[in-house]
Amino acid sequence: MSEVDLEAKIPNNVGLRDNKRLMKALETWQPAFLEWWKDLGPSDFNEDQIYLRTAVGVGKGGWAHFDYVKMPEYRWGIFLAEGPEDRKIHFGDHLGEEAWKEVPGEMRNRLRRLIVTQGDTEPASVEQQRLLGKTAPSLYDLRNLFQVNVEEGRHLWAMVYLLHTYFGKDGREEAEALLQRHSGDEDNPRILEAFNNPIETWVDFFCFTTFTDRDGKYQLAALAESAFDPLARSTQFMLTEEAFHMQTGENGVGRILHRTAQLEKEGKDAKSEGGIPFDIMQKYINYWASASMDLFGGEDSTNAAESFSMGLKGRYREGDGIYSDPRALEQNYKAEIPTPDGKLEEKEIPLRRAMNALLLDSYVQDCKRITMRWNRDLEKLGTDFRVVFPSKRFNRKQGIYAGHYYDPEGTPITEAEWNAKIASWLPSEEDRAYVKSCMKPVYEKGKIANWIAPPPTGVNGQPFDFEYVKFH
Amino acid sequence: MTSRLVYVCEGGDCTEKGSVELFEQLRNLLHEWDPKEEKIRVRKYPCFGGCEHGINITIWPDKIFYSHVKPEDLPDIAAHIKGGEPVKRLMGVVKPDVEEFIWQMLDCPY
Repeated sequence: MSEVDLEAKIPNNVGLRDNKRLMKALETWQPAFLEWWKDLGPSDFNEDQIYLRTAVGVGKGGWAHFDYVKMPEYRWGIFLAEGPEDRKIHFGDHLGEEAWKEVPGEMRNRLRRLIVTQGDTEPASVEQQRLLGKTAPSLYDLRNLFQVNVEEGRHLWAMVYLLHTYFGKDGREEAEALLQRHSGDEDNPRILEAFNNPIETWVDFFCFTTFTDRDGKYQLAALAESAFDPLARSTQFMLTEEAFHMQTGENGVGRILHRTAQLEKEGKDAKSEGGIPFDIMQKYINYWASASMDLFGGEDSTNAAESFSMGLKGRYREGDGIYSDPRALEQNYKAEIPTPDGKLEEKEIPLRRAMNALLLDSYVQDCKRITMRWNRDLEKLGTDFRVVFPSKRFNRKQGIYAGHYYDPEGTPITEAEWNAKIASWLPSEEDRAYVKSCMKPVYEKGKIANWIAPPPTGVNGQPFDFEYVKFH
Repeated sequence: MTSRLVYVCEGGDCTEKGSVELFEQLRNLLHEWDPKEEKIRVRKYPCFGGCEHGINITIWPDKIFYSHVKPEDLPDIAAHIKGGEPVKRLMGVVKPDVEEFIWQMLDCPY
């Protein structure tokens, strides 16, 4: 592993100084990235000083530095996690072989597609969230939004580094295309559909970072097991930063629920006080949870089987050795499959073909853990409402349950029942209009909007009323 | 390869309380005894959901859930891992449903 070079134009620990050709290629891409940031990154705040965390290394003794920085001057760097030089492949057909330092020819196209798809989501989410700063509920939240945005930008850098370094001309073209596709662009949209709709409110943002970023975590975690060592190390370090993004969401939703419970406890009607009623929160959770589950892909997938057998994507925490068969050849996955008459029938899928389903199961468990945490807080506050994480069959547009109708508990229903109940399960136009009406900026130090509770602690040991953003 | 694991929580609350440093200390302590991780592997885990009671450490498949762990507790935890008695004062803090849920997450049927 190379030393951390923080003085370079592009901070890195990948020895860019020793690879002039690569350095030049990345330095050529850098102005295009900055141009993209100014055009499609957070609007209106590029001249303000934001209290941000910047990655400055990957090792022991701290990896990040906090200080005020103008976002366009953020030091987007390229960092690979530390790891043994002689790492072995720990799953799939190549089990026990040396991990690859270069891309094997026969895996080039598949690997490039995986990296491009992952890379495409990073700038996409920044584009989706670009107007949110205008309605931030507090300086603390505004700062957190920008932290998420700059780090998604750094994750783009991580994927672009891989494309430039290991995929030659094709990789350079793909890196350029990552800045040319835009969220919601009719002619040149982002690859995954969920990244083409703007995130217009902070309720959406907190749900997105809770559920959609968490899908990202699971995809990154699967890639972090990869036999292609540079990809594994890149994604391992991305996961370190991603944890904050999910925490922002998890705490954000929790703070909204907390505030609503407080209003209720005071005998006030949440809606007439500008709070977000519980039923609306549940609908937003239903919407974002189901949309995020769609990102895992088909439950029965030969594509996923091939990525596993080739050693490109592992199961969640594969490296911990928690799976009895690292080749995944001996077992079947039990799935409930819809029958033509609308019932559910148990069917066995060869385990390798069920890799997406397994990853989704890990994700669902994680989401239920969060729900339990929110509910413990609601219980403490003495309210009867409890959040329910929807069934993985509910409102699916992808996978085996797409095209069928289920209620949030996962019970099969008819289309007519679905149509009659949809407004009580998913946000209606009226709900969205109401939530939007609550989104008013609060930029005063230590103040916060009435629909969300302040956090118990601030960032990096600072209090909530710290001046997280200094306006120019 | 051993399947025994000790996980240190690196969720937001546990990290705030110093779980990153605690992980390093525990790993160093256990690596003195088991440098190649042939008896137990020491890993971080994203979050156990017992956030109010962090820092949380679990041992799997033993199903031991330690809460409110402080650096001074580590020698006792290491002694337990090496074959001693579980550290009772750090157990039974989180609600049973949280604990049970974590074992469900870790008990992979595959």
